[in-house]
Amino acid sequence: MLTTVAQAVVNGLLIGGIYALVSIGVTLIFGVVKIVNFAQGEFVMIGMYISYFLASSFGIDPLVSLIVVMPALFVIGVLLQHLLIRRVLALGDMPQIFLTFALSLLVVNVALLLFTANYRTVQAPYSETAIHLGAINLPVAKLIAFVVAMTLSAVLWVFLHATDLGKAMRAAAQNRDVAMLMGINPDRVFSVAVGVALALAGAAGALLMPFYPAYPLVGQVFVLMAFVAVVLGTLGNVTGALIASLMMGVAESLGIQFVGADSGLIVVFVMLLLTLALRPSGLFGGRSR
Amino acid sequence: MATTRMATIPRRHARRDFLKKSASVAAVAAFGTTRKAFAAEPVNIGGLYPVTGSFAQIGQGCVNAAKLAVQMVNDAGGIKSLGGAPLNLIVSDVQSDTTVTRTETDRLISGYKLSAIHGCFASALTLIASEVAERAKMPLLTGSSSDQLNKDRHYTFTPFCRASQFALAQLQMSKLVSDAPKVAVIFENTAFGTSTSNGLREQAPGQGVEIVMFEPYSAGLTDASPLINKVKASGANMLFPVSYLNDLILIIRAIKQNSLQIAINGGSGGFVIPDFYKNVGAVAEGLLGVAHWNHDVNADAQKVNAVYKQQHGEFLFEYAGGLVAQTFMIADALERAASVDPQKVRDALSTLDVSSGYAAMGPGGRVKFGPDGKNIYAHPVGVQWQHADLAAVFPKEDARAPIVKA
Amino acid sequence: MRRFTSRNTVWICLLFGAVLAVPLFVSNSFAIDICIRILLFAFIGVAWNLMGGYAKQLSLGHAAYFGLGAYTSTILLIRYGVSPWIGMLVGGIVAMLASLPIGALCFRLRGPYFAIATIATAQVLMLLFLKFRDFAWGAEGTTIPNLGDAPLMMQFEGKAPYYYIVLALLVIGLVVTYCIERSWIGYYLVAVGEDEDAAEAIGVDAQGIKRNIYLISAFLTALAGTFYVQYIYFIDPNTAFSFNVSVEAALVSIVGGIGTLWGPVVGTVFLEATSALLQSWLGGGHGGVQLTVYSLILIAVILIRPTGLIGIMTEFYARLVRSGAATAKEVPLDP
Repeated sequence: MLTTVAQAVVNGLLIGGIYALVSIGVTLIFGVVKIVNFAQGEFVMIGMYISYFLASSFGIDPLVSLIVVMPALFVIGVLLQHLLIRRVLALGDMPQIFLTFALSLLVVNVALLLFTANYRTVQAPYSETAIHLGAINLPVAKLIAFVVAMTLSAVLWVFLHATDLGKAMRAAAQNRDVAMLMGINPDRVFSVAVGVALALAGAAGALLMPFYPAYPLVGQVFVLMAFVAVVLGTLGNVTGALIASLMMGVAESLGIQFVGADSGLIVVFVMLLLTLALRPSGLFGGRSR
Repeated sequence: MATTRMATIPRRHARRDFLKKSASVAAVAAFGTTRKAFAAEPVNIGGLYPVTGSFAQIGQGCVNAAKLAVQMVNDAGGIKSLGGAPLNLIVSDVQSDTTVTRTETDRLISGYKLSAIHGCFASALTLIASEVAERAKMPLLTGSSSDQLNKDRHYTFTPFCRASQFALAQLQMSKLVSDAPKVAVIFENTAFGTSTSNGLREQAPGQGVEIVMFEPYSAGLTDASPLINKVKASGANMLFPVSYLNDLILIIRAIKQNSLQIAINGGSGGFVIPDFYKNVGAVAEGLLGVAHWNHDVNADAQKVNAVYKQQHGEFLFEYAGGLVAQTFMIADALERAASVDPQKVRDALSTLDVSSGYAAMGPGGRVKFGPDGKNIYAHPVGVQWQHADLAAVFPKEDARAPIVKA
Repeated sequence: MRRFTSRNTVWICLLFGAVLAVPLFVSNSFAIDICIRILLFAFIGVAWNLMGGYAKQLSLGHAAYFGLGAYTSTILLIRYGVSPWIGMLVGGIVAMLASLPIGALCFRLRGPYFAIATIATAQVLMLLFLKFRDFAWGAEGTTIPNLGDAPLMMQFEGKAPYYYIVLALLVIGLVVTYCIERSWIGYYLVAVGEDEDAAEAIGVDAQGIKRNIYLISAFLTALAGTFYVQYIYFIDPNTAFSFNVSVEAALVSIVGGIGTLWGPVVGTVFLEATSALLQSWLGGGHGGVQLTVYSLILIAVILIRPTGLIGIMTEFYARLVRSGAATAKEVPLDP
């Protein structure tokens, strides 16, 4: 019994790492640019496909492909900010939300056109192996994904707290007007924020590739969980998103184990709704927005 | 996450003459140098399949098979009692969407002089098409296994086995692997999953099989490990996953990752299509499943499979092969009715009784419909992945290859 | 807000007459289907618009009420033989009752928080209906019994009756919106939508207003749900609580003109017409072509004219008026 619970917790943590990468991106964009990027999942999907093609054409391992995927998505993020997001910043919630929705629709269907609906998988040497710690199984691919995800999160944290640009981002997140008065260029800060967020999404994709199939709609499977984590961890709070993601992964896993395999999501949603009822700004929130 | 596709908005419009034209062009092109001048008007039949959307992979294969079938019928001289009239297939993409299915079925029936239709692979879509067809008094053939399709209908014909029969076959096969099977059943909470699993639960006691875990799960898994963890804890020695492809891939891989030694019967659905092997690889070797049709059932099936393989590069899978047979059943009915009137075709289908030829190339080798539209001779075959292909291995009469012990 | 001049009224009557006459002149079954779909989604959009357009509460979970309406009437029909006409109203009431706790929970949140919470509630309902199979057929769903031509049970042989029913629903939705727009609720609504805190500061009961408008919006959406089931003869949780319904409701309103009376109607007509055009140009064949173009158009609309098509039309009209006024100014008052 204890083993079962322990294994469930481990499983939850491992997949929580992936949720974290996606949700941190969403919360970063929201914190700095104040837009909810409903298309975040699609950038995970792009990361997966880049990784897939590098693997199938050149035999490059998905982990190695991170070197290509992350910069590529950073660039895409900067372009996205510059070409699209910048234009709706002043327009208010609804056009912003619908812009990112439309973007999501666009990216999914372009992917459908280019790649068809077929599932693509990558078989890495560690795709099906596992480390055994006593009675606990740690699938290697997921473990690596978790470790990399945590590392990237740590790097991001350092960036946000120890570098000038990172501090500028946090300043802009807290109070855009004052930050501008202090000489911070909002455009640059926003571009970096979106770029970093998309790079993290792409990383999630590459990390998923060894154990998850790629197909045009794959992003949408993860993005819902990511959004719940973002809200739970308070919109804009990167650490919150990370912790909430891990919590949700574990809650989902335990929910599947003890409530029912079709109840994982219900458990998570109930968590969300309860939290919102009791703490509308999320677990780590101060004032609500 | 259930199958919400967040930002995908289904378009509910049909393909117009584009598909009709391309189908006709294909049919004409197939005749090549032996082109005859057709004195007889073509007979229109409709094919409704999800070529886009969540079932797109399978839908495309179905359309390919449907076109091939029509080509085969026409190559053999068409409908002789109608002066050699060729079949004209009118394909419609139902976009894996219920509303589109509703309007498309209607559009085909009212827009073209159809004599019969076949479709739609997925249960929900087929149920809707069946409702529309029933009200329009248009005969519909389908390989969909949903038992609801045989209730209170007069125009729906199901030549292949039902979900409950799949379940029975799986249970019987489990006894081949173990004397005291302890089965864990995990199934998607979709129509496909629930109907098949219900059959398993109901018939298990009668077969002496103990079900130690019976769990629906939300389709669209992010991670199959929690599920497999539960299977492990249940003490099962056999697993019946009832899933479409993407979840199956995750489940099979998670079993490997968690070093779970367990026999698997993957059922039907996503398990018996070429893409399963493509994505899972050698891990699939030796895995058991069930199907309502397999390409090694008899010589006719092998012939069709060879042609299809040549055209499309992969073997002819369950649903696609079944619908080739359905096309020939329609042709047979047209032949006997000597009319394109859907009512007469329907009546001819209700008196269908074939035991040879492409119409009868399913397991059991014979098709005859009971009053509820069920083929009284239909039964499933147990299949096994052997050398990147599916071989029928159960029951003995239908086995074309020995079972390989894993 | 547009003023109804006598000229406007004439136009509207003519338009309405034309719309009423459509089934008489259009015999193509597919064309009627398109019209029914346009009317249905315009109606759902109008219902959504009350919340999302006027009160500016961006709900992306309206499918929750759509599904509740659909399931209520179907359960009453199949288990108790109750006519869907009655079931429709009961469904509306059920939706209204559901909107109370959902609203109580979600209204504490603003903007994107609210949107995400509404998405979650619709999803939870879908999952619950999938899970509790004995109650409502679970994932397999159910078809409604084939009663042939049974007007009292909302089943008809031809398409025309369905057309008129959904047209009536749309008219009801428009009338309700119109009346609200003109009434004191309407003024408060807009105030709450513009700036909830300021509105509260001057004494508007924002929570009450939001709650009431949500009741109405939920009720209307549920009616659409019942109609839909009766029209496609089938229901299952995925269809009933489909996220696509939620999105489409908001989409047609935004493209057409959020917070305006005719916005959702204009939006639906435009989007469906675009879709039909795309269909005939690009044909079928490749999955994804249509939606790609469609989403590009959406992005263009959002970037270029966020007030929606009504915004474009209003501007055009204003320019006409201005040019007319300018010409008038040039006429000397005194010789």
